Amino acid sequence: MTIDVFWRIPTHGEPSSHRNRIPHRGDWFPGDDSKAQSGSVGKGSDGANYIDYIAEIAHAAEISGFQGGLIPSFPMTDEPWVISSLLARETTSFRFMIPFQPGFLNPVVAARMTASLQRATGGRALYNIITGGGGPAQLWWGDSATHDDRYGRTTEFLDVLKGVWNGGPFSYQGKFYQVEDAGLADPLSQEDYPEIYFSGSSDAALGSASKHADYYLTWLEPFDQLREKFDRVKSRTQILGRKIKCAIRVDIIARPTEEEAWAEIEKGFNSLSREALDKFQNPDGSDSVGAARQRGNRPTTINSYKDLIIEPNVWSGFSLLRGGQTNGIVGSYEQVAERLDELVALGADAFILASTPHLEEAYRVGEEVLPLLRGKTDTAILRAVG
Amino acid sequence: MTTEFLWQLPTSGDGRYGNSKQERRGERSSSRHPYSDGVTDPRGLNFNYFDYLHQVARAAELAGFEGIRIPEDINGDEPWIVAGYVARGSRHLKLLTEFDASRGSSVYAAKNTVSYQRFTDGRFAWQISAGGNEQHRRSLGDFVADDEIIPRIEEFVTVARGVLTQSPYTFKGKYFEVLNGGFQGALSNQKVPAVYLSGNSPEALALSAKTADVHIFDAASVDEIKQKIDHLRAIASQHGRQIGFGLRIDIIARETEQEAIFDAYRAWQQSDKKSGSHAPSINNNLWAGLATDITGADATLVGGYEQVTQALVEYAAAGVTSFLLSSIPHFEEAYRLGEYVLPAVRARIGHDQQRRAA
Repeated sequence: MTIDVFWRIPTHGEPSSHRNRIPHRGDWFPGDDSKAQSGSVGKGSDGANYIDYIAEIAHAAEISGFQGGLIPSFPMTDEPWVISSLLARETTSFRFMIPFQPGFLNPVVAARMTASLQRATGGRALYNIITGGGGPAQLWWGDSATHDDRYGRTTEFLDVLKGVWNGGPFSYQGKFYQVEDAGLADPLSQEDYPEIYFSGSSDAALGSASKHADYYLTWLEPFDQLREKFDRVKSRTQILGRKIKCAIRVDIIARPTEEEAWAEIEKGFNSLSREALDKFQNPDGSDSVGAARQRGNRPTTINSYKDLIIEPNVWSGFSLLRGGQTNGIVGSYEQVAERLDELVALGADAFILASTPHLEEAYRVGEEVLPLLRGKTDTAILRAVG
Repeated sequence: MTTEFLWQLPTSGDGRYGNSKQERRGERSSSRHPYSDGVTDPRGLNFNYFDYLHQVARAAELAGFEGIRIPEDINGDEPWIVAGYVARGSRHLKLLTEFDASRGSSVYAAKNTVSYQRFTDGRFAWQISAGGNEQHRRSLGDFVADDEIIPRIEEFVTVARGVLTQSPYTFKGKYFEVLNGGFQGALSNQKVPAVYLSGNSPEALALSAKTADVHIFDAASVDEIKQKIDHLRAIASQHGRQIGFGLRIDIIARETEQEAIFDAYRAWQQSDKKSGSHAPSINNNLWAGLATDITGADATLVGGYEQVTQALVEYAAAGVTSFLLSSIPHFEEAYRLGEYVLPAVRARIGHDQQRRAA
């Protein structure tokens, strides 16, 4: 058994380094989603736009040895279904990891979209099923289901998706979804069912993941917490007679030396405004358990970037430097590879890595870090010998 | 209002024959080898139907169509994915994508549309259909009653236009809800997709009068189409609106009328339509009941290039502004119509319009 390594697509623009939000690629205004900017990557007078930059990152990830990439979806981002279908034809091995919330799509429509995307890409579509978040943010999307209801709905959604996948006829009477004599038509029904990466940290999430997920996907947390979380997920799943793998979504800054890597962080941290730090410590409300777990690991006062080092080579301030989740690994190429291998040892089967800027760093990580990863090689050999 | 010609993308199969569903062109599968064992097939599984769809879209663009209609057919590929797949291989094609309002959150549809518009320079457009009968809808997980279809389309469009044009936008209806929605910054001010609707019921016409950018009529004689257009135009003007009128019609155009008639009969004999039914009813050059399952219009215009050209000019004079055309095989026929029919139709429509303006 080997581990799978994915890259990430920045669907919200990105700064061209961790040191400063400017220059910023894409037409988002750095640090303020209510404004737009022009003149950066895309939005030029030549008809190019941000999808051209995303396409470059997908190609870089293919060339650099990644499985594919997670294509995040948030209110201020471009959308992964669109990106995947637009890039289907010009990529060859890139696997499109599409995050979406079941409440947003009719499950039969989702099945049809996915099967067509599988046909268009030769089976390169996979899901990141998201159920968390919530509160007023959920109504922004037009979704009024409550937090625990949403997990029940996710379970039903995947029941229906799986039920219709190979052609049916499939009927279902759920609380949220009903279908009668449903099923994909040939030849859509001939496609492989997509792998499912499942996000969500609450108990309700774990219950749903146990039934349908291939991978339980989490952000990076302190290693002991992760070990405990993975054990809990795997044992819950075993009770149901299924096996589940675990995956970690983590940012990295890898440089030839540890000093160079931390220097990136220090420069980025020192360029921050007081307001940015205040907002970081007191974010707007959401009922995401995962986000709360990340915040819980931080000190209450922050004077230096060093205050955010929560264990060796792990920094908890990435969301200060660019949008998104906040824990990441910082160090020399060797150190980053070692930390990742430690995560493999405590239960990780796959990674979604990211670094800024995603285009150039895809090459760096592919060339300098991935070749140092041992993954699951050693244990496999030992078992074969012993 | 300028006239547009949209070519149909055959999302559920295409080929040379009236029953082309059985001969899905370009479809590759490990179980079906078209060549005998004595001949090497170099294609393997490297190509599939999407490669063909891409080529049809390119043909429509190069042959001078303004856009493509990507129909929703439950036996075929999903139109939003197809639209994305052909988007980067085309430069100016309008991507008229068909779906029904049961597909999910209207906000999510709008948000996906924002990305389509950003990445295609505003070429994405919506055709929202009623969906099939109740039994069919239930197989799609949709249990609303027949009389709710139109109100739901209205809410779907209202909410989508709301979040696309305003922020914050709040709406609470029977089918859709959004609180403080809307897009900001880079995602704001994207082109609102043109909305194409259809249907013959008074409710459907009333909705189009209030809401549609274009109302699509199924093929009928020029006189019938003119009556329908005049009627809908009058209702729309009561709302202070001007809308476009679409005509969905299939075409078999050949150099001579005899060739066209010969090919039309052959297609009819090959198609599912012939079983248990009598010959198509022919009214001038309009053949009702001829269209194949693939093309799917109510009637087909059959004739020599000059006859077909003249008929389209007459429809334009009756008020049609969007021609939604289809013919098998879609790849070759896109070039044929683009070369032998569309230039002449455009020239005469332009001439007519100049004359009226003078």
